[in-house]
Amino acid sequence: MKTSKYSLLTACVTTILAIVVVLPVRAATVKPSAATHWSLQVHQVDSGNVDLAYSFQIAIYENLVEEVNKTRRFQQVFRDGDHGVSEVPNLLVLKTTVEQYTPGSETRRAVTTVTGATKLTVRSALLTRDGRVVVERTVHGDVHFFGSNLRATHNLARNIAKAIKKTPLPDSATSTALAANKVEP
Amino acid sequence: MVHTTNNKRSCQSGERVVLRLFTALVLCSLTASAQSTIHRADGNAALNIRATHLLGFEGAKNNSNGTLSLQDGSLQFQRNGKPGAQVKVGSVRDVILGEESRQVGGLPMTLGKAAIPYSGGRVVSLVAHKKYDTLTLQYVDDDGAVHGAIFQLHKGEAGVVKAALTAQSMSVGSRQGEATKDSSGEVSYENK
Repeated sequence: MKTSKYSLLTACVTTILAIVVVLPVRAATVKPSAATHWSLQVHQVDSGNVDLAYSFQIAIYENLVEEVNKTRRFQQVFRDGDHGVSEVPNLLVLKTTVEQYTPGSETRRAVTTVTGATKLTVRSALLTRDGRVVVERTVHGDVHFFGSNLRATHNLARNIAKAIKKTPLPDSATSTALAANKVEP
Repeated sequence: MVHTTNNKRSCQSGERVVLRLFTALVLCSLTASAQSTIHRADGNAALNIRATHLLGFEGAKNNSNGTLSLQDGSLQFQRNGKPGAQVKVGSVRDVILGEESRQVGGLPMTLGKAAIPYSGGRVVSLVAHKKYDTLTLQYVDDDGAVHGAIFQLHKGEAGVVKAALTAQSMSVGSRQGEATKDSSGEVSYENK
């Protein structure tokens, strides 16, 4: 009777341990493998009709490349104009269009605390190579208290990267099939 | 009664000391920035200018101080005299100048201002700001990928770098033109 109790207990403990150890490892390995099929090309920022300083456009672009790289969601992150893109089978394109820009002042922020915020609003679209929109959303980036005006671009890029990280990416197989369908007459 | 007046006096003298310290800090930061020098060797051939790399220049740390130099057809950013990142002038596609007003002193100054009683830090903020030039570059690497870099320079110095870049790119362009018989230049230098 005692032995059967012990064996039952051992079996239970082993099962629990197996569940605790194996399941998270599986989850950790399965999740990224679905996403790492894709590479991403970050396009230059389109200022649209907004009068945005060129330094801000460049800062958004550079911060985007950095922040998207940090997410480790993509196999490779390419810049705009990179010739290596043509050899990549599964490519997504990140397009950013500025919708609103409120210029701020670091001095006003330091003196008044409540005014002088720099605010940026952009439309961020993730597209497949054939132009299919995977996700499109409006993202904000502000600097309210500490930091220079350019910090708004860093916050914006971080928010875009966060949004991309949460977005479920399409199955690469369906995309290639779509592309193949498009090529064939 | 005597004790309270003594306390008040010591408190006032303490505030004065803090105020003096911050005034000195502001003055030091302002005068230190004025010590930037422009060295030109061989006329237009070389240029060394103190600059702060804000972001983007390949291989250089963000928000780092160093020297922006231009020689032998390449733009280089060096920290502490060590060989740093460099870009060929021929690969620079755009140079745009800008202007920005920033608070001086960085994080230590911000913390110091927060420590001043009776919101005295706000008064210090009113005078502790300075105008800088920004130099925004757009260049391409060997793979054709577009890069951008932003440098912060003392007022009036960005124009010098731009002029030097224009001169160098023209000479590089003319040299390339001689070699390839192609005079089409894609470098545009704007002043926004």
